[in-house]
Amino acid sequence: MFSRLVTGAAFTSLIVLAGIAIFLGVQAVSAFQTQGLDFIFSTGWDINTDPPTAGIWGMLYGSVLLAVIGLVIAVPVALMLSIFMVFIAPRKLSSVLTNLIDLLAAIPSVIIGLWAFYILNPPAEQWQQLLNQYLGWIPIFQNTSQNFSGTPFIAGLVLAIMMIPIITSISREVMSRTPPDLVNAAEALGCSLWTMLRYVALPYGRGGIVGGVMLGLGRALGETIAVFFVLKLTFETNWYHIIESGGGSIATLIVSRFGEVSGPEELNLLLAAGFFLFLGTIGVNIVANLIVNRTGRLQK
Amino acid sequence: MSTITYQAPLDPEGVVQTPQRPWRHKPRSFTRAVALAVVIPAVISAALFFFSPIPGAIVLTVIYFPLQMLASGIAAWATRGVRGIADSIIIVNAIGSTVFSVVVLLSLLGSLVVRGLRALSPHFIYQNSVFINPSTPLEYGGIGHALVGTILVVAIASLVAVPIGIATAVYITEVRGKAVPYVRFFVQAMSGVPSVVAGLFILTIAVSTGWFSQNALAGGLAYAILMLPTVARTAEEVLKLIPDELRTGALALGSTRARTVMRVVLPAAKTGIITAILLGIARVIGETAPLLLAAGNNDGTVINPFGQAIASIPVYIFNNVAVPYPDAVARAWGAALALMILIAVLFTLARVLGRGRVGRAK
Repeated sequence: MFSRLVTGAAFTSLIVLAGIAIFLGVQAVSAFQTQGLDFIFSTGWDINTDPPTAGIWGMLYGSVLLAVIGLVIAVPVALMLSIFMVFIAPRKLSSVLTNLIDLLAAIPSVIIGLWAFYILNPPAEQWQQLLNQYLGWIPIFQNTSQNFSGTPFIAGLVLAIMMIPIITSISREVMSRTPPDLVNAAEALGCSLWTMLRYVALPYGRGGIVGGVMLGLGRALGETIAVFFVLKLTFETNWYHIIESGGGSIATLIVSRFGEVSGPEELNLLLAAGFFLFLGTIGVNIVANLIVNRTGRLQK
Repeated sequence: MSTITYQAPLDPEGVVQTPQRPWRHKPRSFTRAVALAVVIPAVISAALFFFSPIPGAIVLTVIYFPLQMLASGIAAWATRGVRGIADSIIIVNAIGSTVFSVVVLLSLLGSLVVRGLRALSPHFIYQNSVFINPSTPLEYGGIGHALVGTILVVAIASLVAVPIGIATAVYITEVRGKAVPYVRFFVQAMSGVPSVVAGLFILTIAVSTGWFSQNALAGGLAYAILMLPTVARTAEEVLKLIPDELRTGALALGSTRARTVMRVVLPAAKTGIITAILLGIARVIGETAPLLLAAGNNDGTVINPFGQAIASIPVYIFNNVAVPYPDAVARAWGAALALMILIAVLFTLARVLGRGRVGRAK
């Protein structure tokens, strides 16, 4: 009786996951019935037609673009930060830093959004202006309108700030588990810090670091509120002009359209969009966990 | 009688590595080189920043940072030879990344305190927003209704997620059935559900079944989805620390498995379980998107969890951020500061409780 009850409870997570997939999947199917494949491969959101027409390609692509920008900023910073904490900093400083990074991870996204909207935005617009002024000949830094607010770059920067603590805490964890014999042996053989990292610590922690990066990616894809405040949502696909105003994010689309949803048809479209968000994030997350778990087992 | 003399094996390339002896005192020339490498780039960049029209961001990224790497590289080359250069570049980058992250964090916390304190006052904590519009001065109105809403939603979420989470942990550590790897896998996968999807899911159930509408119950269920993995995984870690002697001892005395868990294992892990609950609450309490979708918003105080839409602190902040009235924005900062204090208290409690005393038998 007891063990049956506990076993039942243990499968709640499976039931919830399946429930999400089924309930949102049904909505996605009915969205495909009204929209056809255009729902994924076209862009636009017109609720005045009957039935409303919608295509979320720009949003799907935008989510990936923002996540890539975030990763490009966050991965080097987080890696270097964890190298500093594990191999360079004195132990006391490193434990203080661990607490600070945990604190950064605990800040809710709505507060990060508030901060980004009022504190980060003004200097970030200046930085983008400078980028455009000096590196404008590189296609990704083109901006013809000279409007630097609500760009994918700022949104990616905010995502990077939210990813840094996740990636750092996992890569710090795996690197600090490098067997001390190996590190000491490398140093006794005359390895410098760089050669030790290159041949001992990084290969040893590679799986965990990759997994941590993917966990960060999963968080970035699902991030809603912070992006809502810093990204100007546009339905045309912004392919690579990362410092031009306007971009897409599927999670943010849901929240921003939900407030003024016109009726059950549009709600259905939003729920279908949520289904793709769920698929993407859960897929990334599962792969990440598999990688992290596998390295965890290898180390035991 | 011949003595065997020890002959050092010949290095194949004929080069003998000189030991580096890191325990030796650093020679003065090393200290001098490091000091020079730190001071010179800083002085040049500061001079450029104050006495030239080049913008600060460019001075920092294009001049100071490369200059610092160059100076450290030269200093390392002068004191340690070619092999020191890569080290010095890593160290400069590592310190730079650390400074960047810490500056971001301090900017976040600093702006929260500086801008949030303006709005924070006793009446801000207990008044609600019934007669408040964005232009109302700060002397009136507060987050009382949102605080009540958040407490209600979190309480419902805990009522749902804590028993299930602990039962999941008990299944993994105590029952140890065949499905343990799968259960752990699904719990991990569940922690990857984005918060907005949790809200959408509850909303779909509400819309398609008509059992409930936007209210505290729906919000609480959405929170429970996010809370469950945290509670389950932390509780699992805690239960693993309980020594097996307690279990075998209880079983040997004739206790059933259920009694062993309820009367021996869980009481022994009490503080750890509380830590798991606190961490779960801290994980969800700032989530905005699920409540925006599932619980809605309200200007008045709502006590009934099954009735109308209900306010919460994150949604209160969300609604006051992008409003063109300074007082409304000040309210957002004030509520954000209050929320952050709440989260900090939860984490501190969890950490203090989680320190050491898990599994008293040790």
